[in-house]
Amino acid sequence: MHEYLLSLLIFLPLIGALIVLVLPAGTFYGRSIALLIALLQGLVFIFILAAYDTSLTGLQLAERARWISLAMGTWGEVRADYFVALDGLSLPLVGLSVFIFIIATISSWKVEKSRKGYFALLLVLNAAVMGTFCAQDFLLFYLFFEFMLLPMFFLIGIWGGARREYASIKFFLYTLLGSILILIVMIALLLSTKSSNDTGTVVHSFSITDMTNSANILSQSVLDPQRGLELFGISVRVWAFIFLFIGFGIKLPMVPLHTWLPDAHVEAPTAISVLLAALLLKIGGYGLLRITYPLFPDAAMQLSWLVALFGVISIIYGALAAMASKDLKRLIAYSSVSHMGFVLLGVASVTTEGAAGAVYQMVSHGVISAMLFLLVGVLYDRTHDRMIENYSGLSSKMPVYFSYTLLAFFASLGLPGFSGFMAEVMVFLGAFKSNGVNGLIHESFAIVATLGLVLGAAYYLWTLQRMFFGKYHFKSSTENTSLVDLDQREILMLLPLALITIAFGIFPQLLLNFINPFADSFTETVLQTGKAIQAIIRP
Amino acid sequence: MLGTNEKLEWIQLSLKYFLPELVLVGAFLILLLSSLVLNKGHQKKSIDWIALLLLMATLMASVISWNQTTANIPLFSGMLTQSTFAVYLKLLFDVAGVLTVLLSWKAYEYRKAEYYALVTCALLGAHVLVMSSNLIMVFLAIELISLPSYLLTAFVFSKKSMEGALKYFLFGSVASAIMLYGMSLLYGITHTFDFTSEVFAKAIYYQQTPFFFISVCLILAGLLFKIASTPMHPWAPDVYEAAPSPIVAFFSVVPKLAGIGILVLFCLAIDLKGNSSIRWYIVLSLIAILTLSIGNFAALLQKNPKRMMAYSSIAQAGILLIGAITLTNQGLQFMLFYATVFLLANYLVFLYIGHFERKSIVDMESYAGIGKSNAASSILLLVGLISLTGLPPTAGFLAKVFVFSSLWNSYEISGQGLYLVVFVVGLLNTVVSLFFYLKIPYQSFLKNGSNTVPSENSWGVNLLGFLLVITLLGLFFLPSGLMGWLNRITFAL
Repeated sequence: MHEYLLSLLIFLPLIGALIVLVLPAGTFYGRSIALLIALLQGLVFIFILAAYDTSLTGLQLAERARWISLAMGTWGEVRADYFVALDGLSLPLVGLSVFIFIIATISSWKVEKSRKGYFALLLVLNAAVMGTFCAQDFLLFYLFFEFMLLPMFFLIGIWGGARREYASIKFFLYTLLGSILILIVMIALLLSTKSSNDTGTVVHSFSITDMTNSANILSQSVLDPQRGLELFGISVRVWAFIFLFIGFGIKLPMVPLHTWLPDAHVEAPTAISVLLAALLLKIGGYGLLRITYPLFPDAAMQLSWLVALFGVISIIYGALAAMASKDLKRLIAYSSVSHMGFVLLGVASVTTEGAAGAVYQMVSHGVISAMLFLLVGVLYDRTHDRMIENYSGLSSKMPVYFSYTLLAFFASLGLPGFSGFMAEVMVFLGAFKSNGVNGLIHESFAIVATLGLVLGAAYYLWTLQRMFFGKYHFKSSTENTSLVDLDQREILMLLPLALITIAFGIFPQLLLNFINPFADSFTETVLQTGKAIQAIIRP
Repeated sequence: MLGTNEKLEWIQLSLKYFLPELVLVGAFLILLLSSLVLNKGHQKKSIDWIALLLLMATLMASVISWNQTTANIPLFSGMLTQSTFAVYLKLLFDVAGVLTVLLSWKAYEYRKAEYYALVTCALLGAHVLVMSSNLIMVFLAIELISLPSYLLTAFVFSKKSMEGALKYFLFGSVASAIMLYGMSLLYGITHTFDFTSEVFAKAIYYQQTPFFFISVCLILAGLLFKIASTPMHPWAPDVYEAAPSPIVAFFSVVPKLAGIGILVLFCLAIDLKGNSSIRWYIVLSLIAILTLSIGNFAALLQKNPKRMMAYSSIAQAGILLIGAITLTNQGLQFMLFYATVFLLANYLVFLYIGHFERKSIVDMESYAGIGKSNAASSILLLVGLISLTGLPPTAGFLAKVFVFSSLWNSYEISGQGLYLVVFVVGLLNTVVSLFFYLKIPYQSFLKNGSNTVPSENSWGVNLLGFLLVITLLGLFFLPSGLMGWLNRITFAL
């Protein structure tokens, strides 16, 4: 049974989407089916957890089937496999995805406009996200990666806010630009590497595992370090690293490639904002850890300082922009930019702590940002107003809402006891340690980044003060808005998220058991192969 | 000079390889006759069927000759050459012909028999063009495509379509004249019209002069006109806007692919297997980059779907040229893969542009809200546009990856920086193209339309659309079959 678990996880939502599409329009079945599928995925994930062995490193639960195999004359053979598997990096993110999709489906319960299309697209997006995190074949990864764009484009563009068309097109074009850069490197990699266990003819395989092994680089290919091909005075391998970095950086998003994010978030409906922040941004970090660093470790060792620099810039700039935001949703969007900067810093340090911290931050931010966007959605549902300055003294009117917001804000600003604190501490540890252990990034990066924590505390506390404290006041354009407190459906969504962020804050081993083997092997391989390849370039 | 008996022998031997073209000639005559013999009522009822059967027969004949052909066979005293490359292109033309009939089904009733006869005639021209190994035949075949094309442009019988036809005619005749001039110059250098011959190769090997360069450029100008490639593209938008939709689909595929086919053969001849001291790949690369960029950026500004698709087809010609730049077996095979996918996707898009046009949805803005009233049609159209953009999971993505992989491979072997520039510019153009390909889905799904369009009478269209979509998706998930066919093709002269 458990050899098909991952396929089940990926294809269940696609089947669900088909069912939703053939059902007659205008019924309420669509959302029930979407929820059922999401819950079934939860069940599948429990089986996955049971089958997964945390004591092992490397890929587990692998499924591999031949997909494309083309004989190409002088090239040898080009091969792409349906190859899905999990390791310590994929598993936490898959778990997060399963969980967030359940929440997002519940949060979409009251969607009115063309329900059938909405839930069908949501399910397609679900499959694409699962596939992206599971795929271990570059072509398959790219397929799922691109396949996310179209549903997202329509979900923002049809069900979004006033400037939804602008935001959706901007999102699509930015992300496509990034994925074209990734595509360029993918083609280069395909033709420059061979499969590990081929006999006779050269097999160009899309398998990421094969591409990671530096012994598989074909001699005299463009990416062969010994050939040392240069373009505009920079090694082609470094170019490839930069392209991948920009490609995933757009998705992450890092400053200055982040400008699509605030627009997309502000215009997207609540559930879609949740998915965007909690899952889609993680693909940027995932790509860095899975593809950029392991495949070009030599360039990574040269340019880690740059990655860290962009990380720190994102942390500081995101926090400052959040402080200046007048729109609550925009504030949270910018806080996402700031928090994802920690992922960059953690990855750049190439230490066990840093890498584990980056993964931890991705999961933690996934949970906390989902909570934050849900809370904004709650307020927006009631008043259709997200301007911070229009509210004050909300704590007296909506006490339960206030307590959840308090918790989410504190979790997000990194208070001890919440998951965000654990993640950031690990990232800082890694960043401080890096200079001494591998000399990749200077301590000053970590020192400047701590400023981000202070700024985070500042904008969250200031927002609390402005919106919740003082005398109740609501400046509304429509008069008879009734500010009622959270209802049961909303608590049903928020409570699990709150419990999880506390649990991961107090018992980090829950997550680190999975992450640590991955972080160890990631650090080891990147440093070792990086040094080996650099030794070839500069003997 | 050959004696009469030898000539007769040539003809006798050649005819059995000439079956598809003979069927086309027969089809042309039958269609013309039926416009004279059949009365209006009968014609209206049966002409679509007659045309469909005749073009199906041509397709069958081409399939037969595909199975017969393994090596190059000279025909008609070496005027034509039957090659696997030519036969594959002919298969594509015939598929396009059948699709053109299906797209014109029960529409454009006025003078329908002549309409089909002209399509058949242009198809014949395309068939002959890709088989040509003699410059005179090239010229004749291009005229055989062009003359019916001018007439077909006018087949809407409105003032606008007359204008388009006249423009096309004027541009076209100038382009032909330029090409003919180039050919006569080239004859002066080589003393032969047969560009596949030893004599030709020897002559140009010793005369790599500016004079030779200019004469080849003049010939290329005529070919690029047919491909609708920069700098010979400005006719395309006006003509596309004026002509009936099925004919636009036909124009954007058949003459273009035929032009690419003969361009490849001619370039193989003047490249002298890489021994030419004039580096033709630079010329081709520049043309490809310009075509791709101008096509894509100009398409951004268009408000009429047909004009937009005109620029799109210019840009697509750029990608086909990228496949041809390197003149390697691999590159050309992938170019044919791309051509196949492009044909299917383009017909899919024009199927719906024509379909909506008949519901008087002409401008981009009038597509607003169609996504709700005509959901199935809009989704199928979306897949076509996505395939033209080159996004997964459509065959357009795989085709693009293949074409650019072969370019990368050539860069890897030769280390020519220009290839890398073409590679990066070509792929980044995808982002630009996405913006305009999304314009129609953007209107139909994201905008709310004021006019409600009935969705009746669309099951036939949707069935055809669905089949095309399935093929496009199928070629993404299982490309091995088609690639197996393409691997059979050799590109020797």
